[in-house]
Amino acid sequence: MDHATLVFASVFPVPSLSHTTPTPIATPELGYTAPGSSFGSPFVTNVSGAQAHRAVKRNIAWSTATRFLSLPRPAASGTGVFEGVRLPKTAEVEQALHYLLVGEGRSDDGQEETLLDWYTNEARLHFAITVRPILEEYWRREVGLQRAWAVLDDTQRLLEQVQDLYTQPLADHVLPFLHNANDSASAIRPNRHTRSEGEAVLSRYQRDVHAVFAHSLPQQRFSKTLSYALYDAGCKLFRIYARQDGTQPKLPPDNARELRKHMIDLLQGIERVGLGGDKAQKAFAHAMNKLMDSFITSHYVKVDWYSKKSIVPHLRMWVRDGFCPLVELVMECLRCDPSSVQPTELHQWQEMALSRLGRARVDSLFDFVINWDKSLGAILDIKEYLKVSGAKQYLTSGFSQQISRRLLHPGATTTYILNVYISIIRAFHELEPKGVLLERVARPIRRYLKEREDTARIIISSLLTDINDETESRFSLQSELSYEIASEMAKPIASVNNDADEELNWNDMNWQPLPTDASPEYKKSKVEDVIWFLLTLWDREDFINELKNILGDHLLRSQDPEYEREIRLLELIKVRLGDDKLQACEVMLRDVLDSKRINATIRAAGSLQTPDKRLPSTPENAPRRPKRGTANATPNLGVSTPVSKTPQAPTLNAQILSSFFWPLLRDDEFLVPPEIQTLQREYESRFERIKGMRKLRWMNALGGGTIALDFDDRTEEYTDITPWQVSVIHAFQPQSVEDWASKKGKKGGGVARNIKQLEEMLEMDEQLVRQAIAFWIGKSVLRETHPDTYTIIERASSAENAKDEEAAAAAQELAEVQAQQQAGAVKSQSDLLNEKKDIYMTFIMQMLTNQGNLPVQRIAMMMRIMVLGGFPFGAEEVKGLLQEMEGEGKVISFGGDVWGIQK
Amino acid sequence: MALSATRGANGSNASGSSTVAQRLQKELMDIMMNPTAGITAFPDDENMMCWTATILGPDSTPYESLIFKLSMEFGATYPYEPPTVVFKTPIYHPNVDMSGRICLDILKDKWSAGLSVLSVLLSLQSLLGEPNNASPLNGQAAEFWDTDPAAFKRHVLARHKAPEELDA
Repeated sequence: MDHATLVFASVFPVPSLSHTTPTPIATPELGYTAPGSSFGSPFVTNVSGAQAHRAVKRNIAWSTATRFLSLPRPAASGTGVFEGVRLPKTAEVEQALHYLLVGEGRSDDGQEETLLDWYTNEARLHFAITVRPILEEYWRREVGLQRAWAVLDDTQRLLEQVQDLYTQPLADHVLPFLHNANDSASAIRPNRHTRSEGEAVLSRYQRDVHAVFAHSLPQQRFSKTLSYALYDAGCKLFRIYARQDGTQPKLPPDNARELRKHMIDLLQGIERVGLGGDKAQKAFAHAMNKLMDSFITSHYVKVDWYSKKSIVPHLRMWVRDGFCPLVELVMECLRCDPSSVQPTELHQWQEMALSRLGRARVDSLFDFVINWDKSLGAILDIKEYLKVSGAKQYLTSGFSQQISRRLLHPGATTTYILNVYISIIRAFHELEPKGVLLERVARPIRRYLKEREDTARIIISSLLTDINDETESRFSLQSELSYEIASEMAKPIASVNNDADEELNWNDMNWQPLPTDASPEYKKSKVEDVIWFLLTLWDREDFINELKNILGDHLLRSQDPEYEREIRLLELIKVRLGDDKLQACEVMLRDVLDSKRINATIRAAGSLQTPDKRLPSTPENAPRRPKRGTANATPNLGVSTPVSKTPQAPTLNAQILSSFFWPLLRDDEFLVPPEIQTLQREYESRFERIKGMRKLRWMNALGGGTIALDFDDRTEEYTDITPWQVSVIHAFQPQSVEDWASKKGKKGGGVARNIKQLEEMLEMDEQLVRQAIAFWIGKSVLRETHPDTYTIIERASSAENAKDEEAAAAAQELAEVQAQQQAGAVKSQSDLLNEKKDIYMTFIMQMLTNQGNLPVQRIAMMMRIMVLGGFPFGAEEVKGLLQEMEGEGKVISFGGDVWGIQK
Repeated sequence: MALSATRGANGSNASGSSTVAQRLQKELMDIMMNPTAGITAFPDDENMMCWTATILGPDSTPYESLIFKLSMEFGATYPYEPPTVVFKTPIYHPNVDMSGRICLDILKDKWSAGLSVLSVLLSLQSLLGEPNNASPLNGQAAEFWDTDPAAFKRHVLARHKAPEELDA
């Protein structure tokens, strides 16, 4: 219909233009004659005639009413969609409506189409033709997040407009009839049925229209968009700025009130056009779900690093005072039933929020543990979270994963792992004082630590370190010392004497049952301190063996005459492991303490400082005077410590060690200077006099000395140097008359020695000789004159100075490196392995010969049991041995770690 | 070895099988420290009371370069009672019966606590070269030994099984 036609039609009704006209008015239907009745007589008045008459009348009324009510068609141009021209409501129309709605033309039996049905259809048709394309245009593509609000608003506005358009005629022209009918009927039958007549009609009509609306929108897209819009509103209302998508331009925060109003308007509008209901509620639920997530990750609930408090109360408060009112508001807009939040729901939501928070926290628990105790707030959050069901399991599995990924890998130093372990112990103690969780998560760490070779060494040496007098640098990550352990050690020993079983203490008002997930045999460890956890990493025997080694080394180096730390450590360990196994360690400690006393006794009784022990000195060069002690041991071993202060006479202090109880000590044989030998012999004889039958065996490689060297132009003192260094430098002292003579002849050239000579003179290993030489070159005492030949630098200011200094610098580095390798007084594992390699190989050969092919593990186990004196190695070393033997063609690998004799 | 010796001595004060185990451990250690050509021995399991030994047939005897396995069982009274020694590898020998039992004086009445695993194995090795035909357990073998070395050698080889066959 073009515009011109419309104009024309408005003046001269053209019935044929309207499809609603069933029959031309010009040719009224006369009805049919029923079978058996005579045709065409107007006088025939039978029932069918009356019906026919009604049909005609209804048809006419229908035609009039529908023409009146028909909705305007949009112009072809597509503009002015809703401005149709309504036909004037004439009396004829009024009558027709009345007739059809409440008069005779009304059909209740459903056989005929009612006017309302028709109207609904009409609206549907109109909607499909005019509105739907517009909506499709809105929703055709995925709605961008920024456009969500606009699209929703537009849609809502359009639908509302359309709805008004559709409802208007109905309300204006149809409903009054129904209401009137009601009113008249209600006088007689004031029951529910009649009262709701008009409303029922209206609501049925509305339901139909809403269904049309709803079907015209892509449902999923619509609810997603709505959900996003609600989420967005929530975020803005709570000022949560989630930036996870990155595309969101940072908008200036809207005025909260406006935003709120906007949201309410939209929701109410949506509800009005029938898009509310279940779908919108679902969308809303999604939105709130996401909103809660966002809140959890937002800055509002970030870990409280400063005041170290849990933010859980804050979270609960937000759910109660922020989240719930929003939900209520929206529910009210969507006309939910009931529209208020029940207390149980509130509680549920709080729990939900808590469990989400907890999960978020647990996911970065490792970081919190590392940053203990700054992260106390986060740990307290998790503690709250643990009350939620399933939380413990989540925590254990999540944290174990984090540990295995981030901690238990070869890149982490043992010190680091130990430090983290200590943090874990502390953090989990806060988390769950009963320790069940700790036990669970710590298991893999403990297993891993056990496998590391250096764990025991680091723990024990750290325990023996004094945090107060160590510089910070020693506790760096790469260091072999753990600051955490050392500081634990500095704490007072925890009282462990409450022998009473805690579980039976009836007066303990703070008693709590064990957590439900504790295994039946779980026994809370009585001692809660960190050191206890570390000391129980191993079997007691393994640990004590390692302790012996380290303690031995430590005692020999210790400068503390009272051995306070060592005594304390031993006490500490005794408290934790029981004292029956620590006999060896006690003997070691007693040895060093006794040594002091014996030294004093022997010195007091004897003439160790008599003049005849004085070193020969010469007018010209009064050579270096080694004053140092070597030591001795009871049955076998000896160690020396330096003591004397008198410059002229060397003095000797000995440490007397009971070889049986000490670990194997390094035992390089070499000759000490004759002066010292004399002292040693003297000491020996006195010792034997005091101690009866005991014999001393000197271990020259241990110990240290202090010497002063007199040069032509200077005198220098060296403290704390090793015996072999003393011996080597002493060898440069003219030994005989000829030497003296030659020296004088050479005019201050000093004595020259080469490596070979030194080896022979001192019966010392070449390695040691070279190390000592490097040391002395580093100190600018020696100079290499020819390859492998060295002399004393008597005058520091000689012409060759510059060269010497260079050499000295280079040698010093070398000496330091070597010294590190040589440093340990106790034999290292690898030394031990090399030393006993032959025996071990014989063992393996005989084992494989007689027992057939065996896997490495089994071999290692048998070795541990069978080898007298212990086999302190693991499968790795055994494998190394086997591979070496394979190289010699003795054994062969059958794959899968199984080895056998090469036939 | 001063250290281990001391330990062994201390151990002898203890009672029961731990003493035996300690003595055996020491003997094992001795064998390891001084390996003897052609003789090896090793405990079967942790408790040290059963050993398997391997001896190589002495050169220029019918048993030359044959490998014999033996089992040794030590009682709780060791070393005051001899161990029970049995050939696991089938052997054709005048002083060994068909089930591997051995007739040797030091394993019977001539046993002394001063003997050791190593000395027993050495005796057995020499027994292979010098059987005691005065008291044979295997009369036929004793006869062939004296009369027909070729037949003896044939029987020895026929009866002998390599360790691999033995296991299978």
